[in-house]
Amino acid sequence: MTIRPYLRAIYSSLPTFLLLASVSHAIPAFSRQYGTSCSTCHVDFPKLNDFGKAFKDAGFKFPKGDETFLKVAPVMLGAPAQKDIWPHTIFPGTIPGFPPIGIRFNTFFQVVSKNRNDINAGNLANPGTFIPRTDFQPGLFSIFMAGNFGSGIAFWVDDDISVGGSGANGGLGDGYLKFVNIGRLFKLPTDSLSLRIGQFELDLPFSPARSHNLSGWDIFDEANVGAMNSLVPLQNVNNAFALSSASQGVEISGGHTYSGYHYSLAVVNQNTGGTPSPGDTVQPVVGFVSDSNFKDLYGRFSYRFNLERDPASRNEVQAAGATGPRDHTYLNLGTFYFYGRSVQRFNGFSTDGVTPLVLTAREPFYRLGGDFSFNYHALNLYGLYLYGHDKNLLPFTTAGEGPNGFIGGVPATFSGGFLQADYMLLPWMMGIMRYDVVKSSADRINGFGAGVSPLSATRNRITPGIQFLIHANIKAAFEYQIRPQQTVFDTSGNQIAKPFRTNSAVADLEFVY
Amino acid sequence: MKANLIVVAALLFAFSGAASAGTVSGKVSGVNGESVVYIEAIAGKNFPGPTEKPVMDQKGLKFQPSLMAVQQGTTVEFLNSDTVAHNAFWISVGGNKKLAHNLGTWPQGQKKDFKFDNPGAVPLLCNVHPEMSAYIVVSPTPYFAVTDQSGSYKIENVPDGSYTVTAWHEGAKNQSKPVTVSGEGKADFTLSK
Repeated sequence: MTIRPYLRAIYSSLPTFLLLASVSHAIPAFSRQYGTSCSTCHVDFPKLNDFGKAFKDAGFKFPKGDETFLKVAPVMLGAPAQKDIWPHTIFPGTIPGFPPIGIRFNTFFQVVSKNRNDINAGNLANPGTFIPRTDFQPGLFSIFMAGNFGSGIAFWVDDDISVGGSGANGGLGDGYLKFVNIGRLFKLPTDSLSLRIGQFELDLPFSPARSHNLSGWDIFDEANVGAMNSLVPLQNVNNAFALSSASQGVEISGGHTYSGYHYSLAVVNQNTGGTPSPGDTVQPVVGFVSDSNFKDLYGRFSYRFNLERDPASRNEVQAAGATGPRDHTYLNLGTFYFYGRSVQRFNGFSTDGVTPLVLTAREPFYRLGGDFSFNYHALNLYGLYLYGHDKNLLPFTTAGEGPNGFIGGVPATFSGGFLQADYMLLPWMMGIMRYDVVKSSADRINGFGAGVSPLSATRNRITPGIQFLIHANIKAAFEYQIRPQQTVFDTSGNQIAKPFRTNSAVADLEFVY
Repeated sequence: MKANLIVVAALLFAFSGAASAGTVSGKVSGVNGESVVYIEAIAGKNFPGPTEKPVMDQKGLKFQPSLMAVQQGTTVEFLNSDTVAHNAFWISVGGNKKLAHNLGTWPQGQKKDFKFDNPGAVPLLCNVHPEMSAYIVVSPTPYFAVTDQSGSYKIENVPDGSYTVTAWHEGAKNQSKPVTVSGEGKADFTLSK
């Protein structure tokens, strides 16, 4: 079993999780292309307003009359008359008139409460990484490109290139082509079918990758790691999959995210992030993201109930407010489901019990959730509930010296979610109040090892915050993460003297251009 | 004979009127682009607002025109020609913040009227597209002109007399000068920010 080193690694990287769980992007390239400010699409970048959602749904174009808004004409990759030769094809297409590149940089400062290292002091042979009281943290330096190649073909690529710095994340975020409204080829209703191919964030109700929060929603980062405690039934789950992870695959979608129905169905690579674990000597090491022909499945459906009273603008993208356009009053309800298999490998034996063999467990798991979002003028109240379930395949010995098969154990489950309210106090100032909860049979943050894992832990967090747009593209943000006491037990069921309870204050300064 | 006398009298009146309607011309320098030059209020004279309604359009995420001069009492029609929702508001008229106003939102293709009863510069803004801006300069008299890009202007049909003429440019300090019109008057300005 290789769980403990993994948990230690996660725990020791807690400060980084606190800071960098949220990786978000706004698109200054579109500002250049259309000669318009960020607030055309964002209420507080990168949070989209309804127009921004419509812009994204349309394939990074204005939903109507896009060409009349472009200030930089696209370059035709063929004469317009070429279309007359093959009128039903997508030839010849266009590229943006200039490279649509944007850059984002942010930096953090955090203060962590005095007892941040208590749990380290309470333990143990290996106390893990010492957490500093105060810390400046570089965030990300991200480059991103997005736009439209004409004929409804949109593209997006973003990459954090700050791999060299302390706390840097690094790596490709999303990179995909999206064929918008391909349903027209099959004479389906407008916008009822689009196709996306590449690496992308799953179509989650609320985007962790493009969240305006300084810290990510805990539930989206929750991996499922089985309990390592002798007081509970043995679990052998080491599934590093989290919904916030980028996926590689194909997605079909339809409808709109700003009105009416919306759905998506994705087939993505199996996530093998939990194996092999650091220090594991099991061979062969898997060098690819996916190691089997099985693909994970994700589906989402949502419907937005339009509660707008103004009849004139009820069916427009945005409502006609008394002092200017605003998002409609609405209630959005949705549900989502993910089914996958996580992979673990073990040194074992063949059925003769003698011949060494690498055993591979492909463990079924699912995530099921529901969400809502209610908007009234400057107030947006939204939340989500998620339930996670992993089957828990235990190594099983039928004969010989060691395991040569698997048997189902007590499933490893977790649940939780969040409730958040965003209120635009002023056009350039957003107040945030948020509550996160994760209940896990083996809470990973506190699952510091077999000696202190909780039987069951509910991890709560209350996070008030405020964000200021210094300019439309420069933001100062602050949040205070309050973590009510989370009791940790030892193997005898006794509470550890100094339970984990760490509050953090995080300030962020970021810009895009 | 009587008819002839009437014609002669009418011609004399017409000629005398033509002789008293002069021009004020000159150049605004020190700034780039269009400016507005207008004759300040004339004591004892009131000018009824015109019936024509100039149109301030919102098209392609821009106010069009970006600079408009109107006479006090003019009703301006605000049009949204875009497929996106717009708003128009101003935080002052001639620096007077009590005259701030928000026109709200209206659908594509429709107009909304507003009558400008107070003189001064009106900075137009849109609350969802902060890059959009335009100015309406409300002149207290019907004697005003928008300069060309080089700063040259000509105000026509100005009765002979002595006036104060003012030049306005976005971001610059207003400058006023006395001018005497006797068929023709001249006033040059050098504005600074």
